Amino acid sequence: MTATALLLLIVGLALIGWLTARARATRLQGVGGKRLHSLPGQHGWYVAMWVAVPALVFLAFWSWLSPQLVNDAVLATPQAQSLPAAGFERSAILGEARNLAGTEGLGAFNPEAEVLAPVFDGYMTSYAWIGTAIAVLLAFAGGAFAYTRIATDFRARTRVERAVMLALLVASLIAILTTLGIFLSLLFESARFFSIVPITDFLSGTNWAPQVINPADPGADLGAVPLFWGTFFIGAVIAMLVAIPFGLMSAIYLTQYAAPAVRKWMKPILEILAGVPTVVYGYFAALTVGPAIRDLAVSLGFTFASSESALSAGLVMGVMIIPFVSSMADDSIAAVPTSMRDGSLAMGATTSETIGRVLLPAALPGVVAGVLLAVSRAIGETMIVVMAASGAATITLNPFDSATTVTKQIVDLLTGEAEFNSPKTLAAFALGLTLFVITFLLNIVALRVVKKYREAYE
Amino acid sequence: MNSPIVAQSLAGGHEPAERAPTDWKTQSMQRRIRRRYAAERRFRLLGLAAVTISAGFLAFLLWTMLSNGLAGFSRTEVRLPLNFAAMNLDVTPDQLGRRGADLALAGAGLQNAVGAAAVEAFGAEGERYISDSAWVTVREAVKDDPSLLTKQATITVPASSDIHTAATEDATPETEAAAAMLTQRGALTSGFNWTFLTGADSTDPTAVGIWGALKGSFLTMLVTLALAFPIGVLSAIYLEEYAPRNRWTDLIEVSINNLAAVPSIIFGLLGLAVFLGTFNMPRSAPIVGGVTLALMIMPVIVIAGRNAVKAVPPSIRDAALGVGASRIQVVFHHVLPLALPGILTGTIIGMARALGETAPLLMIGMRAFISTAPDDLTSPATVLPVQIFLWSDQVSRGFVEKTSAAIIVLLMFLLAMNALAIYLRNRFETRW
Repeated sequence: MTATALLLLIVGLALIGWLTARARATRLQGVGGKRLHSLPGQHGWYVAMWVAVPALVFLAFWSWLSPQLVNDAVLATPQAQSLPAAGFERSAILGEARNLAGTEGLGAFNPEAEVLAPVFDGYMTSYAWIGTAIAVLLAFAGGAFAYTRIATDFRARTRVERAVMLALLVASLIAILTTLGIFLSLLFESARFFSIVPITDFLSGTNWAPQVINPADPGADLGAVPLFWGTFFIGAVIAMLVAIPFGLMSAIYLTQYAAPAVRKWMKPILEILAGVPTVVYGYFAALTVGPAIRDLAVSLGFTFASSESALSAGLVMGVMIIPFVSSMADDSIAAVPTSMRDGSLAMGATTSETIGRVLLPAALPGVVAGVLLAVSRAIGETMIVVMAASGAATITLNPFDSATTVTKQIVDLLTGEAEFNSPKTLAAFALGLTLFVITFLLNIVALRVVKKYREAYE
Repeated sequence: MNSPIVAQSLAGGHEPAERAPTDWKTQSMQRRIRRRYAAERRFRLLGLAAVTISAGFLAFLLWTMLSNGLAGFSRTEVRLPLNFAAMNLDVTPDQLGRRGADLALAGAGLQNAVGAAAVEAFGAEGERYISDSAWVTVREAVKDDPSLLTKQATITVPASSDIHTAATEDATPETEAAAAMLTQRGALTSGFNWTFLTGADSTDPTAVGIWGALKGSFLTMLVTLALAFPIGVLSAIYLEEYAPRNRWTDLIEVSINNLAAVPSIIFGLLGLAVFLGTFNMPRSAPIVGGVTLALMIMPVIVIAGRNAVKAVPPSIRDAALGVGASRIQVVFHHVLPLALPGILTGTIIGMARALGETAPLLMIGMRAFISTAPDDLTSPATVLPVQIFLWSDQVSRGFVEKTSAAIIVLLMFLLAMNALAIYLRNRFETRW
């Protein structure tokens, strides 16, 4: 039975439980002159809960456990005795046999896998049936237990509401779990990486050549400084040189000068810029902007101009960030009390003088926080740099030169055919950890600034 | 924060009380005013320029995609005369009704026969005028009408990329000449490219389609919605309605705000290390992609949900409590229905973000070449943005228009979702 069908079966059983329990509770109403403590529907929910929850918990557990059980069972059969001893080949054959099981007519790469496939198929089917049987049994047992407890003075409502509260709490804990999962998985893989490559080599080395790692001294080829520089140069310098002036001036124009009708239309139009998928920007950068910038560089006399320049990636990324900066600036300008603006205007200052000397200084913390968030977003941005930036790690100040970033390298390192334990693959997690820590700090600082600043005017 | 401004205004207050009134008519004063007004105009123009250039960039982007991509929706076709009777295909008509028809026709050498027919019809270069997948069109036609096998027929097959390029825009002189020759013989037609909507990935740009990627996107979004919506709504309710103010709830709040700003590729690393590495979930599958994206957009839904729940006035809760509802009933019978439009708006915006996301899906292996549409949540699949990414790497000119056409489809979906979100917000916005 497929997982979907089983899920539907359990939901169906829970529905039946809900209906029967509610019917029984309705019949109890008024029997013996006593009022029901809980509403019939609440009794229904109580039974449905007992039907579904144990079965579903078991299924989650079983789907994690059963592949291991199947593996063990297959390994114990006589057909599996001819397998090579533990190692890569053995797991490859087992994996292939597992994939072959259940499909028909496909040939196998390994003859052993072909032999093992039907064995796998048999055990997978039988373990799936065992799981189904136990799940259905649990559903009935739970339902029966709950059904017998229905009585006039049974406090079904209390129980159900307690369960709902538990669900609410669990749902909100998932955010913490995710954060913890991200942090721990990055930390764990990075620790393995740093046991191979010294952390000092990684953080201070200037040679990044992961394609040809020397096994004797992996640290010499895995110095990440060029990546950090490239990320900073593209995301925090070039992109911000585009995003800050355009974003800030747009926000100023739209809040201070534009007619309400213009503002009403232009603001969403600018926000579309942030909603365009980054893969589209990346394609645009690679197809149109990159070659155009190369031609420009050649006409300026740069002989080794590349179409994968830092400038094309940074420029397009800057455009993507414009609405981000402008809406943050918009918010913080709007938060400046009108009395300050009116006061300045009443003194005879022009609007631009008011903006430059009163509104912007007052809104500065908010604008700075917005810029920090924008930087954090730019250095975490992936697709634009994957498609438009170069793979060559160089430390350069020339925007027409090629540069690479942390995110591009993560993608490059993890989409090859490397096995999971090589320093090459693990390096991606170390880069991920660095990226996570940097963006985390930027976000924390920015959020602090925003919070403090918001309170100042309230 | 605002101390410099306060200091300035205080300093202004200490100026000497008597001062000769400013004579605005003097030349220097007039010049000063003119300068200030000019600066004002310049500043204003600068602002207008910033807005216009930003919007102009968007227009340029959309125009580039449209002008490149519209050709992807049409295709050039060649009317190819085929003499099936002379081909001596070793296929009996009753073989064609069965499931092995494709195999039988391929085994009978249909592909070579179609190529030979093109050479016979259009000269030695003829085979290069029709698409590599032209024989598939012929195969389908034969399957539809087995009686074709005994007679002559003219079948419209897709033209090769070169001919298509020559027919729609500039190309090399040779292909231009070939296209002109075909046009002169009345063999060249153009039609709507249905293959683009119904096919999946392929190595031949004339045979590619987005259906596989669209279906993959749909399945992935289904998982994302099924996980992110309930989790997001439940935690928004908990944080806004029940959570005590203590260190735990502060921690939850900090994690949610932080998760909202974590780069998406980090979620991909999480998916790779935890879902693929630890839980052994299937690679490239919509279920893994969906779970990863759900974790990514969950904070968006929580934040939107909290704002929507917060906006429901306390009087509603008080009234419900007053007539004896329990706290759970207050929330699920009264607060949640009133907050739902706001939550839905946030959910749609989050889903739009998930639909356009590429980087985390690359990490969990959804970049494989997959030439069939996925059947279920665990079969290998690709999604629309990843498909765009994969096609963008292809050097063939035919893929440029296909990539842009796929981008048009993706942008249309996103615009539709955003429009729906705006509509919901305007339609159900309540002022209490």
